[in-house]
Amino acid sequence: MGTNGKRGLDDQMKTVIAYKWARDGERAAVREDGSVDWRNAKMTAGEDDPAALSAAKAIAAATGGALVGLTIGDGDASWALARGVEQSVSVTDAPTLTDNAQTAAVLAAAVRAIGNVDVIVIGDSEQHPGVPVTLAGLLGWPAVVGIDSATARDGRLEIVRKVGDDHQVLSLATPAVLGVAALSAEESAPGMKELLAARKRPLTKMTLADLGITVADAVSNRGSHLPATKPVRVFDGDPTLAAEQLVGALRADGAL
Amino acid sequence: MSMDTWVLVTDARHVGAMLAAARGLGTPVTAAVVGSRALAELVAAAGPDTVVWVEQDAQIPVEAYAARLAAAVVLAAPRVLISSTAPAARVLLGAAAARRGSVVLPAVVDLAADGDHLVVQRSAVGGAVIETLETSSPVAIVFTGEDVEAPVGSPAAIETIPADLPASDLCLIRTEPAGGDSSGVRAAARVVSVGRGVKSKADLPLIEELAAALGAEIGCSMPVADDLGWISKDRYVGRSGQHIAPRLYVALGISGAPQHMEGIRDAKVVVAVNSDKDAPIFRTADFGIVGDLYEVVPALVAALGTT
Repeated sequence: MGTNGKRGLDDQMKTVIAYKWARDGERAAVREDGSVDWRNAKMTAGEDDPAALSAAKAIAAATGGALVGLTIGDGDASWALARGVEQSVSVTDAPTLTDNAQTAAVLAAAVRAIGNVDVIVIGDSEQHPGVPVTLAGLLGWPAVVGIDSATARDGRLEIVRKVGDDHQVLSLATPAVLGVAALSAEESAPGMKELLAARKRPLTKMTLADLGITVADAVSNRGSHLPATKPVRVFDGDPTLAAEQLVGALRADGAL
Repeated sequence: MSMDTWVLVTDARHVGAMLAAARGLGTPVTAAVVGSRALAELVAAAGPDTVVWVEQDAQIPVEAYAARLAAAVVLAAPRVLISSTAPAARVLLGAAAARRGSVVLPAVVDLAADGDHLVVQRSAVGGAVIETLETSSPVAIVFTGEDVEAPVGSPAAIETIPADLPASDLCLIRTEPAGGDSSGVRAAARVVSVGRGVKSKADLPLIEELAAALGAEIGCSMPVADDLGWISKDRYVGRSGQHIAPRLYVALGISGAPQHMEGIRDAKVVVAVNSDKDAPIFRTADFGIVGDLYEVVPALVAALGTT
């Protein structure tokens, strides 16, 4: 193991779980003119973060290696610490960026600063599908994303993903990036005891300057507008009448 | 930097849309295919100027070829890279974009050239708005625009890129059936799907009655299969579940979370029944009924039987 060239064969795998690295789009307010108010949208745990954490824990448990949390921006870093991660790193001044490659660059720099990392596990966010793959590209590591679960076996990663009606089991050498897509919502949120314990766990705060990087969007925003939605035909009022109208419309449309 | 566009292809889905978007820029289009010879030939006939092809070994996942393809991208230095949302295609895109120094933009539905600039329309805030972005940098795009039929024309020439794989970094150990009975949902012409708006498992016979009246298979949203366990997980429709393309999709009590909508992107006609008139699903649906599904579903069964 220790295939990143910095460590001996006896070293254990170090797994990084990246979490809370994007703003919560659902908290953004869309105005009538199509502009967006992001003021209430904080960095938040994405819907795939719990599944990614499960996979990261499984890998760490299988290898006996360390598990390190990594988060960026203004979110509460205790999310992972309250869920069994012993230590975390937060890049506190990472801005919100349009360019997925810039977000990936912040994560990549933080991974290099953590050092001796074998595996990065990250939620394969539907909203930011370019981040996990570009993170791998920037590090020059292989990646598999859209996976269901992962563990470690014989010094390699064992990955399960669904392709059509089949499960594929893949074997991957480290170092590598794994993007996990949620098959389910989080099963059990931590209780008060875990939340209190999380406050005592070590959190290393870093800045972009500490990492020696600057990030900026090389893309400008000309504004936003409401999508030209298909003219949805809505039937309401009396259910019997609405149902008859709908069935009639579907027949006229050839859908029935 | 060349002004060319490279479309990265790992499967046949959405190839027509990606090539059409690339052609719209008015500059040369290369399709870079990692897969079988048959896939390369299908893509070659769909309108690119050239095809570069990396032959995939059946036991080696597409992702293993990412570094090889990225090296080819660096040599050609295209202005624009395009992939679909498919996991393997995105891995190719990420590897190439990082080597190329590209801006990486997700959920792009349209793109156009404006002088030296590229103007990109992308879906944001879970599909609630379309943002217009502009850049003069090389750009890598995850394309989610509306699918169009690929034209079948005289095929472009196919140039083979040697794979040069490192030994067994990534390999397929085994493939096993996922179990369950999803194929009915995947191939069905009509699907009736239920979400959290259904209050109890005991209410499912109501839904089954509508499905029978429509000749439809039953699907569901993630919480119904997962947290509640009412319906087999293999019938869950969404990003990490089934991606389906029925002629008719009826969503009952489903709000329309982005991860669910990803699974029905290719459905032809979408009908939504929801008590919340502001539910996001009404933004995508073709037809809707705002109302209580416990009243609407029996009314639909009756209407299907009598009209």
